Amino acid sequence: MSEVEWAGMRVDAATAETLPSWADTVAYLRSGRAPSAVAALRAARDTGRPIVQPRCGVGDHGDMLRLLHRLREAGPGMLTVTIDSYTRLRQFDRAARALREAPADLNGYPLVAHGWRRGRELIEAVDVPVEIRHGSPDPRELFAVSLAAGAGSFEGGGIGYNLPYCKDVPLRTSMECWREVDALCGRLAAAGVTVDRELFGTLTAVLMPPSISLAVTLLEARAAAAEGVRCLSIAYPQGGEIHQDVAALRCIRLLAGRYLPAGVEVHPVLHEFMGVFPRRRDTADALILYGGVTALLGGASKVINKTRQEGYGIPDADANADGIRTALLGTSDLLDVVRIDEDRVGEETHWLLREVTELVEPVLAEPDLPAAVAGAFAGGRLDVPFSASVHARSWVVPARDARGAIRYRRTGRLPFSTGTLHRNATELGPERPTADLVESVTADINYFLRRDHAPA
Amino acid sequence: MGTRQRTVILGVAHSDAHAVANHLIAMQLREHGFDVVNLGVCTPLTDFADALDAHPDAEAVIVGSLNGHAYADLADLPRLRDAGRLARPLILGGNLTVGSHKTDEGYRRLRALGVDHLLDDPHELPLLLDLIHAAGTRGRTREAVSAHV
Repeated sequence: MSEVEWAGMRVDAATAETLPSWADTVAYLRSGRAPSAVAALRAARDTGRPIVQPRCGVGDHGDMLRLLHRLREAGPGMLTVTIDSYTRLRQFDRAARALREAPADLNGYPLVAHGWRRGRELIEAVDVPVEIRHGSPDPRELFAVSLAAGAGSFEGGGIGYNLPYCKDVPLRTSMECWREVDALCGRLAAAGVTVDRELFGTLTAVLMPPSISLAVTLLEARAAAAEGVRCLSIAYPQGGEIHQDVAALRCIRLLAGRYLPAGVEVHPVLHEFMGVFPRRRDTADALILYGGVTALLGGASKVINKTRQEGYGIPDADANADGIRTALLGTSDLLDVVRIDEDRVGEETHWLLREVTELVEPVLAEPDLPAAVAGAFAGGRLDVPFSASVHARSWVVPARDARGAIRYRRTGRLPFSTGTLHRNATELGPERPTADLVESVTADINYFLRRDHAPA
Repeated sequence: MGTRQRTVILGVAHSDAHAVANHLIAMQLREHGFDVVNLGVCTPLTDFADALDAHPDAEAVIVGSLNGHAYADLADLPRLRDAGRLARPLILGGNLTVGSHKTDEGYRRLRALGVDHLLDDPHELPLLLDLIHAAGTRGRTREAVSAHV
């Protein structure tokens, strides 16, 4: 692919030819014809009630429009266009061919193949903001088309959209691509257009220790803020132990206050449980409701709902609409009576802040952030469990403690202090000497699936 | 003891991005004392062959496949074997065919490609490796070590 510049961002020439001018793009973003994501997040923050957002994306344009209308009826505060795998990996020709031959086979909406005019049609079709969610290590063409389409919210980052989504893209490469995206957001901010940039703290989605999620999104947030990004949604994945999850959500603002420049607005986001989901409808619904309550108590601006069909594959529209409603119920005043042990939340908060500080300080002390991040992952000083990428070591092994909170069974080479290691070991308690490691980890992964068979 | 560590080559088939099971199996084999050369997800068969060339002391090649595309992902096995490569027992494990009804026919086709051992349960891997090791073959073995089909 040959590259050209579009508003200072390098994109492939074939995609650039299809784009409107930068002036037209800015004028459209300013026109207010698309509902504002930033305004929706601020309203949620000010009322203390998280908005709910589903994931949704299908190949065919008409089907996508119908899906957005259908889900809008369930009351989400934001909607999504989830992008297909081909487009995520910049295989635009393959996406276009699939769109012509078998759109139903696509696992998302191929926005680059459809083009920005159809994108505007989607975004104007509903009266709530629409976010572009995907999983691209190099999202530059997709971002250009998204902006031209009028999308005011764009998910991803150089770490979170690399390690879970591809095998062999160097972190410095993905971070440089995302630097260009963030720089363009900075340029838009200077022109009076605030784009919401959401960071994917879910990472590899299975038993993610909270301090790893918070450390990674904090490093991405620092990189984004340095390029002039003014609004960040920082997402954290529900682990399933509410005191730990509420502490993690509250840590997002605390860490932002410590490490991000003043004037960068930060919105905590909860991803409802991303791991192995229960398959029974009642169990799944209970977990979806529980996610809503967790988001409410944690002070999230937004919660991404799950559905009762999660254990089976991509949900249909009915299940997704029900999922939105169930999560909304969890965030409603009906559940305002719920109280949790604030002392425990305080203790979790204290240790989480300490763990994150120990993970990020050595990286932030180096002059070149992308190089420091790549080096830390190469040496295991930053790490994620179950990485799909060869650029993370996955020496860390997570474990649930007796209450279900996610701890470290093995910390690999994470630079934790003796105090942190001691506290983690204390919370975890002694491992049964006979326990088979793989069986223990598998049982922790299947923590909520097991509830399908809980005694009545 | 002075015994050399036993080496195996592990990876997930080319079209398959399932990372969790791959990490768990690597963890399990290391717990059992193996040196695991883990090639990770989405690994083309030629990469397995290259890894075996780089680690000629490896006693087996273990391919995981959870997405039902095992046959297509292993289609090049006869060609590589004819060229003298991948000359070790090849163990294939996971969800090996599409659909919930596993038929002997699906397994027969995989064996016809040259897959030496088929496994549904990764827990049986250490035992199978021990049996292959005890059989003492440095090359491929077709011994009916276990009939898990």
